[in-house]
Amino acid sequence: MRAPKKVLKKVLVGLILFFLGGLAAYLFPFLLPFSLAHHPLLPIFIMTGIFLAAFKPIERSVKWFLEKYLFHKKTFAQMTLMDLAQELTVNLDLQELSNLVVNTFGEVLHLKSVALLVPDPLQNNFEVASAYGWAISASKKIRLAVDSPLLKLIHQTGPHVLVRGLLLQSLSWQEANTLSRDFDVLQAGWVIPLFVKGEPVGLIAFGSLYPDTVFDQSDFQFFREFSGTIAQSIHNALIVKRLRQLNFELQDSQSQWIQKTKLNAIEQLAAGIAHEIHNPLAIISGKAQVLLMQKGPKQLEPNVQESLNTIVKQTRRAADITRKLLLYSQGSRGPRDWVSLEKVLDETLALLAYQATLDQIEITRNLDPELPRFYSNVQEVREVFLNLLLNAVEAVGKEGRITVELKYRREDDLIEIFCSDTGRGIPPEHVDKVFNPFFTTRHEAVGLGLFVTKQIVHRYGGAIRVESQPGEGSLFIIQLPRQTEIPPAAEIKNSGTVEVTAQKV
Amino acid sequence: MKKLLIVDDEVEICEFLKSFFEDRDFKVATAVSGEDALRQVAVFQPHVVLLDIQMPGLDGLGALKKIRESYPKVKVIMVTAVETQDKIEEAMRLGADNYITKPLSLEYLEKDVQDKIDLLAKIA
Repeated sequence: MRAPKKVLKKVLVGLILFFLGGLAAYLFPFLLPFSLAHHPLLPIFIMTGIFLAAFKPIERSVKWFLEKYLFHKKTFAQMTLMDLAQELTVNLDLQELSNLVVNTFGEVLHLKSVALLVPDPLQNNFEVASAYGWAISASKKIRLAVDSPLLKLIHQTGPHVLVRGLLLQSLSWQEANTLSRDFDVLQAGWVIPLFVKGEPVGLIAFGSLYPDTVFDQSDFQFFREFSGTIAQSIHNALIVKRLRQLNFELQDSQSQWIQKTKLNAIEQLAAGIAHEIHNPLAIISGKAQVLLMQKGPKQLEPNVQESLNTIVKQTRRAADITRKLLLYSQGSRGPRDWVSLEKVLDETLALLAYQATLDQIEITRNLDPELPRFYSNVQEVREVFLNLLLNAVEAVGKEGRITVELKYRREDDLIEIFCSDTGRGIPPEHVDKVFNPFFTTRHEAVGLGLFVTKQIVHRYGGAIRVESQPGEGSLFIIQLPRQTEIPPAAEIKNSGTVEVTAQKV
Repeated sequence: MKKLLIVDDEVEICEFLKSFFEDRDFKVATAVSGEDALRQVAVFQPHVVLLDIQMPGLDGLGALKKIRESYPKVKVIMVTAVETQDKIEEAMRLGADNYITKPLSLEYLEKDVQDKIDLLAKIA
């Protein structure tokens, strides 16, 4: 309901000003240059404009006048503050709450600086929740240790307003010196402690623009009452904040737990499925192969032969799904060793060579002569190369080029794999999704290849990304930090090259 | 005569492998459990054993261990439905000569079995 009222108020003010503008233009035409005065409406607009520009100062001076001569000025300020205090009881956001407090305080009492400090249980000190009249960076740095002289004093004196000038006079030189440092840090002449049930939950520190500002007894009475309301709401907000944080942590650990349980379930499921499915697949594929490889005079019809070949191929595909799922869910449990990426790449290329020649795809490989061995599970590395290359072959379709580059970036100790193709590329809207599980644009594909690839790369602390131009091709880039750990002695026996590599490290 | 023992709890698998290898002049015996396999190894005295890892009762790894104790010379090729690294490692440690995964490539299997036979012939 407040907004329409505000608009109405503005419209009314506008109308009054317009009327005043007209009146002024009529009464004082000599105020305007001669050429403008004869225009029927322009003088009114100009005068209205002048009034509009002058409105704020006029409003302020009227208010000031009323405050000074008709009301007691401080009562007005106090009423605003009590209104604020009422507002505070419904808001539970610590940031909004403290902003409200310091801004109202600063503006109503015409203060130079205000800071609201709340305890930070983790750091064992008080930090600034919000500040008025401070540079943001400066206020963020302020921290008041729990055992600082000021906070110790607050613990002793309880919820009483502390006045710097009076306090320092009543203390010994030594004590005054240490205490004044805390006041200086806060740029404060006054400190209002905020107490809830005898425990300090924060403090408001403020300094005045004028050195001779004084607050009288009734002010302090008011501060005390006011601080009670603020303290309670700050206390509530702190509790809410803490609860939110705990809730967040709980959700976080819960989702981690769910993820882990899910993976465990997937692994068991995948292992079960793989066993149950691979046996029938083995029978289907086996019988087809027996027919295909039959010896003797019986020659199969070409279409029968083709069908049998398809059966064998498709069973292999089906087995691939469960195998990938299992690989993904198992995590990295396979044995690791110093693997020659070049060798694995060549093995993978050999698998694809036949298909590539059929499709007239030219595959080139560029190898860094200084490429080090990579401490990894050879099966996982093979999976990465195979998935990248199968994707590239599929993307090219017929006639094109695939380039695989293996580089070693010595300065960062990174191994980089670049796999580029001249295929059809990935539409921009799909680029984010290619690594998602079960994402595929092909009917016959499962959509696990790049997902598994990403999982493996992550397992080695690496990163994978894709750059693609639809119609021109794609470039997959994998970066793997070279594993510098020296394998346990037992594994060194397995490969003669390890010692050489290890010495280099 | 080349002698091959096929061990798998799936009778169908035993059967098509049997017909496949018999076609290629092997003498083939089959077993559907680990215990059965141990009996057959003793009676049939095969050159090569195709041994499934996952079987109820005495599984492939258990059977492999027993076979290795009494017949160190016989060649054993493990067959597995699932490529679990730890099982495969365990099998290799127990003295398996190779492993293949299901679904099987008969072309590869034939070559591998023949290799083992040739190896035995060379030693003898």
